[in-house]
Amino acid sequence: MNAPATPSGRWDNLARSRAGRLARAAGFATGRLVSADSIVPLLEAVIEPGDRVCIEGNNQKQADFLARSLVKTDPARLRDLHLVQSVLALPEHIDLIERGQVSRIDFSFSGPQAGRLARLVESGKITIGAIHTYLELFARYFVDLTPRVALIAAQAADREGNLYTGPNTEDTPAIVEATAFKGGIVIAQVNEIVDRLPRVDIPADWVNFVVQAPTPHYIEPLFTRDPALITEIQVLMGMIAIKGLYAEYGITRLNHGIGFDTAAIELLLPTYAAELGLKGKICTHWALNPHPTLIPAIEAGFVESVHSFGSEVGMERYTAARPDIFFVGQDGSMRSNRAFCQAAGHYACDLFIGSTLQIDLQGNSSTATKGRIAGFGGAPNMGADARGRRHASPAWLRAGREGRGNIAMPRGQKLVVQIVETFREHMQPTFVERLDAWDLAATANMALPPVMIYGEDLTHIITEEGIANLLMCATPQEREQAIRGVAGYTPVGMARDLRMVENLRDRGIIRRPEDLGIRKRDATRDLLAARSVKDLVHASGGLYDPPQQFRNW
Amino acid sequence: MNGRRISYFEASARMRLSGLVDADSFSEFCPPELRQTSPHLAQLGAPQAFDDGVVVGRAKLAGHAVLVAAQEGRFIGGSVGEVHGAKIRGLLDKALVKRPAAVLLLADSGGVRLHEANAGLIAISEIMRAVLRVQAAGIPVFALVGGSCGAFGGMGIVTRLCAEVVMSEQGRLGLSGPEVIETVRGVEEFDSRDRALVWRVTGGKLRRTLGEATRLVDDLIPAFRAAAADLIARYQAHPLAPASLVALLDEQARLAARSERFAGARDGREIWQAAGFADASRVPELSVAEFNLHLGETS
Repeated sequence: MNAPATPSGRWDNLARSRAGRLARAAGFATGRLVSADSIVPLLEAVIEPGDRVCIEGNNQKQADFLARSLVKTDPARLRDLHLVQSVLALPEHIDLIERGQVSRIDFSFSGPQAGRLARLVESGKITIGAIHTYLELFARYFVDLTPRVALIAAQAADREGNLYTGPNTEDTPAIVEATAFKGGIVIAQVNEIVDRLPRVDIPADWVNFVVQAPTPHYIEPLFTRDPALITEIQVLMGMIAIKGLYAEYGITRLNHGIGFDTAAIELLLPTYAAELGLKGKICTHWALNPHPTLIPAIEAGFVESVHSFGSEVGMERYTAARPDIFFVGQDGSMRSNRAFCQAAGHYACDLFIGSTLQIDLQGNSSTATKGRIAGFGGAPNMGADARGRRHASPAWLRAGREGRGNIAMPRGQKLVVQIVETFREHMQPTFVERLDAWDLAATANMALPPVMIYGEDLTHIITEEGIANLLMCATPQEREQAIRGVAGYTPVGMARDLRMVENLRDRGIIRRPEDLGIRKRDATRDLLAARSVKDLVHASGGLYDPPQQFRNW
Repeated sequence: MNGRRISYFEASARMRLSGLVDADSFSEFCPPELRQTSPHLAQLGAPQAFDDGVVVGRAKLAGHAVLVAAQEGRFIGGSVGEVHGAKIRGLLDKALVKRPAAVLLLADSGGVRLHEANAGLIAISEIMRAVLRVQAAGIPVFALVGGSCGAFGGMGIVTRLCAEVVMSEQGRLGLSGPEVIETVRGVEEFDSRDRALVWRVTGGKLRRTLGEATRLVDDLIPAFRAAAADLIARYQAHPLAPASLVALLDEQARLAARSERFAGARDGREIWQAAGFADASRVPELSVAEFNLHLGETS
């Protein structure tokens, strides 16, 4: 007989390790239930030095009580941990590095902690495995970055340990599935323990421990944009996007990045786009969080379906009341799923549009700035051509024809659009010869400059000067001039070759607002379907309940 | 939600006027080409405006002759300087001669212009007297308050002298502005950065509840127009009578009682509760139509 070809001669080391950990933890739990007082010793019993640990940190929901508890564990016992999680958002995540408990991280996005993280990397206290996109990190959970211990957040548990994650399900299913089925341990913090859950999002036998947190987990209202802050330049760019792109290509399936530019487009749908007769012809199917600024378009009957990465604080009652539009459980509350929605955004959408901080002459764009390691989140998955895609749509086929010419083999291409003003805050030019990402890569010793969207995937740039269609550029020189041609009064824009730019305009590669029949003086805030957060509340029939910081009443 | 809605709050003074009065009926007095700018700002090297921040003229509203003044809140907070004040006062004097159906003051001002404080203070007192004179002659003056600067300081007083005050919820009316109160009395007295509180205390809904505003309308230029047209029709049917001494004494007594009743109130919610709103904390969320319905009127 063949003996198992493993060093220990066994095939169940992971299961035995899990059993040993659970045995050590038994004294701190009653069945699956752990009291808040016992969580620190339980974590010390369950986690071993060198473990890969995921502290569920999505870009909205945070397992904040478990993160705070981990910071209270004995650094002599819990050390050399390898954090594998999508977002490093809480100060506690970075505290763990400073306390010497975490020596390696693989992540996607670090937003608010970007500055502290950069300093720790420079001082050599932490090694970054890689900065991933969300979908890429989830994929690695199932290949070579499977967590041994996952600390997750749910809305509620029942006494058996079934979990209800509700509208903000986000990353939880991906994390738990990888951990629970590969010998790992899942510990959930919940806001409340109830007799009966509205629905089961995570079954109890995938969960090892449940602890009721003293305070509900934190959720960041990341996707709320106050319409009062949308400028008339953004209205103009929104009109250009709708008339020059959405109508032109017949975009029905799409994803919007976060920002005031895309919020302006959403608020122009029931007004400007409706006046152009585009209702039912564009923007019907979305991979999108429940943006409050989409409410007027939904109420106007523009939208047929929205699947979401996460939820948005205050949108719970609205999404529940619109089950034809959102993905809602039989209990009546929405469910999100970041992994599926990222896949949907990558494969099933014909257009991604978002903003960025810098664009270079090849069309590479980046949000990296010196001294901050902010990471990516999901934009690169949406903002990349899905080369594995095999289903056709008119918009996708047209972009393919424009980009590849009439070659023998028909192929399509995703429309990937950057919508930016030529100057951003503090009069920093958006268009640059060289991205700051190069300097960041050098100082932080990264293998790759952190580029959000690669030039080869970018198909259009919209600025207040008009649209540049990069698909139709025949040479790299034309592409560079097309970018300069919409770069306004930035140094990059001033260095344009006027004759070449006019030639590109004659060929429809650059289109100014007037070429599209858009009068700049029509671009006023009066076109917005809502001009304040309160207008959004009224549009929702009182169902939208905005968080305190967005209220002025 | 379909279609464009022209916000009164966000519009400029000239945009408000063009949407308020009958199309092509407006004719401006002292127009920008006359360059009647402030001599004081010039001396200080400060930016000037060719209309000194106020547009005055005659127009038709629903066919009736009116005189109108619209303050431009975007120019030094709609502040009243010497020229600015003289234009409004002159407009009111003209009303005594031309006898329009009404004079409309589109107030959007923090009060007297600090750069020319003495001249501005005199101008305000002249405007106050002129308003009373015009109304004593049977011509009603309407204040329309819905701009980003509201009507504060001297313009707050002028507004309250008017026969009618039309406000939007976004409009604010008061004497000392929130920042001034906070500076003088401390943040404990009034937190000017708590925007919700500022609107609950100075905004249109509270002013309407207290009876200081006589109409509450949506933040739309056509809504202000409709209210002004309706008021003109009413005054055409029932002309403004000179105030009797008895009526003035009654009003004085009513205000004294109100000031005593709400002396301890710190927040609009307490007044809404006293006014019988079922859920006072929800009043700011009510639409204008719902609010007016509760007050027992149709908008």
